[in-house]
Amino acid sequence: MTEIVRTEGLVKRYDGTLAVAGVDLTVDAGEIFGLVGPNGAGKTTTLRILATLLAPSAGTAEIAGMSVTRNPDQVRRVIGFMPDSFGVYDDMKVWEYLDFFARCYGIAPAARRRVITDLLELVDLAPKRHEYVQTLSRGMQQRLCLAHSLVHDPQVLLLDEPASGLDPRARVELRELLRELRAMGKTILISSHILPELEELCTSVAIIDRGQVLAQGRVAEIEKRLRFGAVLRVKLLLEGEALEAARDRLAGDDDVASAVLLDDGTIELGFRGDDEATARLLKETVAAGLPVVSFSRAASDLEELFLQVTAADEPVAAA
Amino acid sequence: MAEITAAPVLPPNPRFGAVLRAIGGIAAIGVKELRGRMRGRRAFIILTIYLLLLGGFALMVEQIMEQQFQNPFAGASATAGPAIGQAIFAAVLLLMTLQVVFLAPSSTAGAISLEREKQTLELLVTTPISSFAIVIGKLLSALVYVFLLIAASIPLMAVVFVFGGVGPEDIVRGYIVLIVTALGLGSFGLLCSSLVKRTTASTAITIFGVLAITIGTVFLLVFWQAMGSFDATGNRRPGPLGIRTPYPLAWINPFLAQADVLCGTESTFGGGWCSVVQGLAPTADNGVIINNVGGGGVAVPAPMPMPVPAVPEKGFAPGVAVAIDDQGNPVANDVAAPDQPFGARQDTLWPKTVAMWLGMSVFFILLSVQAVSPTRRWRFLRRPRRRGKSPESPESPAP
Repeated sequence: MTEIVRTEGLVKRYDGTLAVAGVDLTVDAGEIFGLVGPNGAGKTTTLRILATLLAPSAGTAEIAGMSVTRNPDQVRRVIGFMPDSFGVYDDMKVWEYLDFFARCYGIAPAARRRVITDLLELVDLAPKRHEYVQTLSRGMQQRLCLAHSLVHDPQVLLLDEPASGLDPRARVELRELLRELRAMGKTILISSHILPELEELCTSVAIIDRGQVLAQGRVAEIEKRLRFGAVLRVKLLLEGEALEAARDRLAGDDDVASAVLLDDGTIELGFRGDDEATARLLKETVAAGLPVVSFSRAASDLEELFLQVTAADEPVAAA
Repeated sequence: MAEITAAPVLPPNPRFGAVLRAIGGIAAIGVKELRGRMRGRRAFIILTIYLLLLGGFALMVEQIMEQQFQNPFAGASATAGPAIGQAIFAAVLLLMTLQVVFLAPSSTAGAISLEREKQTLELLVTTPISSFAIVIGKLLSALVYVFLLIAASIPLMAVVFVFGGVGPEDIVRGYIVLIVTALGLGSFGLLCSSLVKRTTASTAITIFGVLAITIGTVFLLVFWQAMGSFDATGNRRPGPLGIRTPYPLAWINPFLAQADVLCGTESTFGGGWCSVVQGLAPTADNGVIINNVGGGGVAVPAPMPMPVPAVPEKGFAPGVAVAIDDQGNPVANDVAAPDQPFGARQDTLWPKTVAMWLGMSVFFILLSVQAVSPTRRWRFLRRPRRRGKSPESPESPAP
């Protein structure tokens, strides 16, 4: 894999406050890279520096080998940027909107017509071609904005909170669209403070808080490396003393740090092991003759991970 | 689902690439702006109404003048035609100046700030389109409508030729001043729009600036003239702040420039418009130019210039103009322009106004480009002091 986005020691200071405090990111070509962090963590600032909208106070940022500070014009030709809150020219029709941006990129008239048709089909707005932009729904405007960032066939897409303000259906559609774009070979940088949104979509993530990268890497790798506190929920077809005995038995396992019997009869285990250890524990439990109804990891791994990481004062060692 | 067709970006042209790209960018902005502005019939209905009003106004001025010449004891009919022509020219030209002075800056005062408010400017500046192209495209597309109104008035203005008294060169001068004023004040509005975040604030500042340029300059000149005039003993009093009248203030006033253009239609010895111009922005500050007929210089200390005695242009040897200083002594003899030894000074002001506004337009446009540019703000001025900007420089120290 070749690196397509790289930042080193990126710092952005606004009147004494540090918005970004030394961010190092590397994104390989063809990835969907998630920037995760709470509000005000510096995600937007980082993306805006990459989009050549802000000059960093220190550090370097490169896209496709070009510095965003020294060659902003060249960088703008390989990126498509969609800001978190964006406006649309409401006195324009949908095709005129795309036509305008295609002109901004100096695309020849014949190619412009073709690109507009293709993009409107890609984002499912072909029937809206001759409508005014202001009549579109929020989700449609979001897709139109995404289409505008694609008119020049950029290698890298920078999407700042693209799913904010969308209803669940529009979110699913957006996710499908991003997958499709990835299949076309685009590298996508996407930021969000909502984790489940990124978890299914991203190949890699960087967790950012207070302007620093706390963890970075492939989603699976990060989970593996940081899995020091996964939670297993075990439900058994037992009651009373038999259940308590089963809990004690599970607590005796080497990888189990704690075992708590919840009110609804579920046993919650603090678990240190990896996936193999989880499989071994399940096998042993079944082999011991305990009637297992369900055996699962707690719901959202990334979310837990996120809470653990952002709550820690010391940054967790990054990749 | 369709594949995205690779969009061919313009091939880099080593010689004219930058120029072509800038023109392409200006065209892109222009097409976008005009699509919004000229859509439907609105723009053309407004143009029609404007021409009807302007024509009605010209007709009414003509009627007023005709009424004045109805009196059999008034001026001879031979002078009625030119007088009517000059009156219509003056009335229409000043009305159009008024329209340009307010329409041009107010149509640009929201150009950039509206994009900021609607959050579309970021989408625009992340395209390869240059800040220069954005600024010029915005300015031209806003001024196109103003220029359209100006151009549409030309046939109406040509009616003055029916009456006479105004030459084609006078009309050309008037239109040059109009166009340059539109450009200058338009770029002033654009600068406000790019510096101020809110459109309402930008519009307010722009209108205030326009009032200062038009009414404010005249008032200051009148004030200075009054304070710095001659006292009872014939001595010139020092003006406010102890400085002489800042005559360059008159140069930026488009109405005074038009008064100077109108002065050009008057006779050699001037008339009302010439005395307005000479009163507020005299060509010789230290006294008045008079014709030296008898030999010895005649010094006439007076705050206002006086028309020189009537002398046929080629009657006898050219007179010598004499300027006097504060004490009434003759000073350098070369104050008067050699080609215009007598009569009212014409064409002294409007070329200065045109030059001044052209220069200020360039200045305003350059400042606007800097303000629009997202990361290169004040690059020319501040670059050496910027730390941590270039990748080679070490991390800047903590604040």
